[in-house]
Amino acid sequence: MAPSMGLRFLLSSIIFITLNVCSLGLFEDEFHEELFIKPLPTGHIYTHFQFTTTWEVELRRKDEFLHYHLFPKALGEVLAKFSVQELHLTLTQGLWRHEKWGYPLVDAPPGAELWVWFQPGTSNVNETWTDLINVLSGMFCASLNYMDAKNTVCPKLSFRPRGATSGWFSKTSTHLLRYAALPRENVCTENLTPWKKLLPCGSKAGVASLFNSIKLYDTNYHSLGIHFRPVCTNSDCTSTSVELSQTLSAVLEPTIFNHGRQDWSLKKLFGRMIGTVCPVAQTSTIFVDVTSNKMSNYQFTLNPAPNTVENFRRGRTEHSYAIYDIRQFTERSRVLDLSAKYNQAITYSQVAPPVLYVHRFQTGSGREKGGIVSLLHNTHPSQDLVVVYMEVIPWFLHTYLHTLQVDTFTAEMTHIGINGTTLKPLHLHYVPGKDRQRPYHLELVLRLPAKSVTRLSMQFERALLKWTEYPPDANHGFYVNSAVISAMLPDDTADYVALPQFSARISAILSGNESLSGRQFVNLHTETLLVMLPTPDFSMPYNVICLACTVVAIAFGSIHNLTTRRFTAVDPTAKGLLAKLKAKLPFLRRKKEGKEKGASEGEGEGEGVLGQEDTGQSEATS
Amino acid sequence: MAYPMLITVSAGIILRLWLHASTLGEWLSDKNEVSTPLTSWKRVTEGLALYKAGVSPYSGDIFHEMPLMLRFLHYINSLWGPAIYIVFVFTDFVTAIVLERIAKHCGRHLLVEQKKNVKTFSTDAQKILVKSSDLRYTRLQVVAIYLFNPYSVITCLAKSTAIFNNLAIALTILYTLKGKRSKACLSLAVASYISMYPIMLVVPTAIFIARQEVPEKTWTSSLTYGSIMQTLLCSCSALSFLLYYSYCLEGSWDFISSTYGFILSVPDLTPNIGIFWYFFTEMFEHFRLFFLCVFQINVFIYTVPLSIKLRDHPVFLMYTLITIMAIFKSYPSYADASLYLALLPLWTHTFSHMRNSFIVACMFIACSVLAPVQWYLWIYAGSANANFYFAITLVYATAQILLLTDLIFAFLRREYDLVHGLKPQVNGQPAQVVLS
Repeated sequence: MAPSMGLRFLLSSIIFITLNVCSLGLFEDEFHEELFIKPLPTGHIYTHFQFTTTWEVELRRKDEFLHYHLFPKALGEVLAKFSVQELHLTLTQGLWRHEKWGYPLVDAPPGAELWVWFQPGTSNVNETWTDLINVLSGMFCASLNYMDAKNTVCPKLSFRPRGATSGWFSKTSTHLLRYAALPRENVCTENLTPWKKLLPCGSKAGVASLFNSIKLYDTNYHSLGIHFRPVCTNSDCTSTSVELSQTLSAVLEPTIFNHGRQDWSLKKLFGRMIGTVCPVAQTSTIFVDVTSNKMSNYQFTLNPAPNTVENFRRGRTEHSYAIYDIRQFTERSRVLDLSAKYNQAITYSQVAPPVLYVHRFQTGSGREKGGIVSLLHNTHPSQDLVVVYMEVIPWFLHTYLHTLQVDTFTAEMTHIGINGTTLKPLHLHYVPGKDRQRPYHLELVLRLPAKSVTRLSMQFERALLKWTEYPPDANHGFYVNSAVISAMLPDDTADYVALPQFSARISAILSGNESLSGRQFVNLHTETLLVMLPTPDFSMPYNVICLACTVVAIAFGSIHNLTTRRFTAVDPTAKGLLAKLKAKLPFLRRKKEGKEKGASEGEGEGEGVLGQEDTGQSEATS
Repeated sequence: MAYPMLITVSAGIILRLWLHASTLGEWLSDKNEVSTPLTSWKRVTEGLALYKAGVSPYSGDIFHEMPLMLRFLHYINSLWGPAIYIVFVFTDFVTAIVLERIAKHCGRHLLVEQKKNVKTFSTDAQKILVKSSDLRYTRLQVVAIYLFNPYSVITCLAKSTAIFNNLAIALTILYTLKGKRSKACLSLAVASYISMYPIMLVVPTAIFIARQEVPEKTWTSSLTYGSIMQTLLCSCSALSFLLYYSYCLEGSWDFISSTYGFILSVPDLTPNIGIFWYFFTEMFEHFRLFFLCVFQINVFIYTVPLSIKLRDHPVFLMYTLITIMAIFKSYPSYADASLYLALLPLWTHTFSHMRNSFIVACMFIACSVLAPVQWYLWIYAGSANANFYFAITLVYATAQILLLTDLIFAFLRREYDLVHGLKPQVNGQPAQVVLS
């Protein structure tokens, strides 16, 4: 028996190994994990985790979405079922400050934002969208089910497909796009846990092992992202693959713990060090942006030294990244604790703002009216910028299009608010909102002059909602979505490196593939607004119903009396029915007789007697 | 007579033009007592801007005027531009003239009816018969009250489109009094086209015109019936024509849900001087449809008993229906009150029997002064809450109801006095006249 057992074991292991080898060849997917660290001039550290899974399947072929290897099955099934062409979901806590920090690799508004392109041929897009948000809501433990028709819009100019599509598709099929955002959504560990589960190694190995909820949710800004899109497999784009990139961005501030020194290390930032590499990852890399070391005397040294430092040019600026191959640093059970030490304490100074940044705020006082003002700054010295500005205003803020004013203030004007020149939008798309059905949707294409501030203002009126439509904390206010600004920045924009179109991997930035003209796409989200609405008295439903119905009853009763009764002349001394009944009761009669006797003694007149006689008479006649 | 009238009318116009030169109009056009979602000029401007931009104003929830009104306002806006207040002052002037004509014809009608019925009156009623000398100042009073009533001045300054509604209703009354069926039905159709509620006025119009055409027949005769049906048919066909023409202009029936549907279903709960908004803000969702139906039926239902009771006095019936509309419509404003207050001098012969006039006057004044104060405290200062403003609306509604019921009581009492004499007696004793 033993030899056959051994033979059986050998056979099964041969089959197993063959299958594995074959499957590796069959499943043409690859997984890359990357960590990007960039120190910001304000003393913050921007860390960006990028997990990219590329899978060579045709998006349209649903039968290929059956056998999953590195691509998460939970997500893949959802995407296949709802015929999703592209999906971009971000869950963010905090506001990215473009004026101080520049541009992130992936921009996200506070709260939740979801925009989805559905595949051509999807029959009922609204229904599919509703089903999709409910499924995603369950999957990510976020209240995405609130992204119903009251919140969702179909942008015409913004949010063009980020992946590989045909030009025909994007121009004619905007009805396949849906966008919604929930500014009030909170992000916490419950959202991180299912997100981590989508990674091939989870958070057990590789860069993802740095995820420490206590440290991550104590940051100035953190954002989770899921981005799914089709990409070209080769440079001819004869076939497409699907790419899933999961991103986690966090902005931390080491200077407040280090006595003003911007020194950082993985241990200090995340509380952990990298000990292992995800075995199924093809590459596992850390990129540290060391460009600032060349700019000034304020420099840092990295420990351990990087594998390589690569330079590349974007516009007029030469950027350099220090690259660490984590596999090399963690073999033989070593642990990588990347740290940086600065040569001096930080000097807080004026930070040069980027080319385009936007501030948005609300105006007005009281809870009746108000206004939204956006200030778009173009700091480029010579070039005009064409931007697409999109705003989604909830239905309960009745927005008036005729109050939309766009003024430009050039650098000579010191005060914004007087004598601006009116800027006519190049294109305007406006969908008025409907109460409880649709929000107000405005998209503008503006040409911002060089070195100018453009002010966009609009007035709204606040609606009084039904008392059940207020959240439990009614006086907290209601949130208004961020405005979204999309632009192509000119070639010579310093200090902005965007992820290239063809790949979401950070290493693709360094690939030297300069098929782009150098112009880079940037997407900005502004601040969300918190608007107070007038509130009714929530303790009053019953009282209000009673009082209003009483007033109606006054009218009804009086008119009923006037129309159903006639005027008649009656004897004023004749007693009514009740008095007659009382008169019949012997006890009361005796009491009355006694009273009348007293009255007649006091007054000495015969009226009481007369009254009695009258009573007798009326009793006789009635 | 001509000189005082001329002076009054000129003074009214000059007052409006002078006040339009100040910023009072802008401040007033934001006040919810004057501008409702149906009549606000800001919303009209928004609708016109959307119309010019090629977006249908009915696709949003801001604009609630009918398509023909949209085109009419677009036309006058393109013609007059910033001087559009002249159109509103002119409309007020025309309404004042129409009211003066109404006063004249109503007085004449009153004397004619009195002469017809004088045989049925008691001899004692000589004192309370209306003489033409009593009616001498009615016309001046009506015009003066309309032009100088703060409610109508405010409505004109705020550029509320309820002015056009008032003009249409006034024209309906005028043509009814003149007995011209087609014109009365046309102006009635225009009034109910602009705002839905004046359709109730078809009943008094039909009754009046039937009485004019068939004076001696009873109510059940086929001639009377034929006359009434003719009036009904005429006004319904005029209204249907207007609606069909709007459908042709718009290309779809979407505008119905934005106009009539909006008036009936009250989705916008912006506070105003009526009783609907807070009631439906605090309504349990379960019962919303039920109470909506109750409140809308409440507006129309008074037509039935009042028409039966006041079938011999169709002008007074029309007046009471206008008042009921102003109290119970879904989005009332001061404009609706200004119309029936202007026509109050038509019934001065009944004032001696009114019991609550002082209280009603005080309530009106108190409400008008306190309403903006409570609004400010709730919305801007934050030191009051919605209940304060709601209380003012309740008091205002009660004041109007007391005025109406008092007037109906006084009218019916005077009718009783005409027939039974001023001092009725029972069993030789002075008697009390009560309703029973």
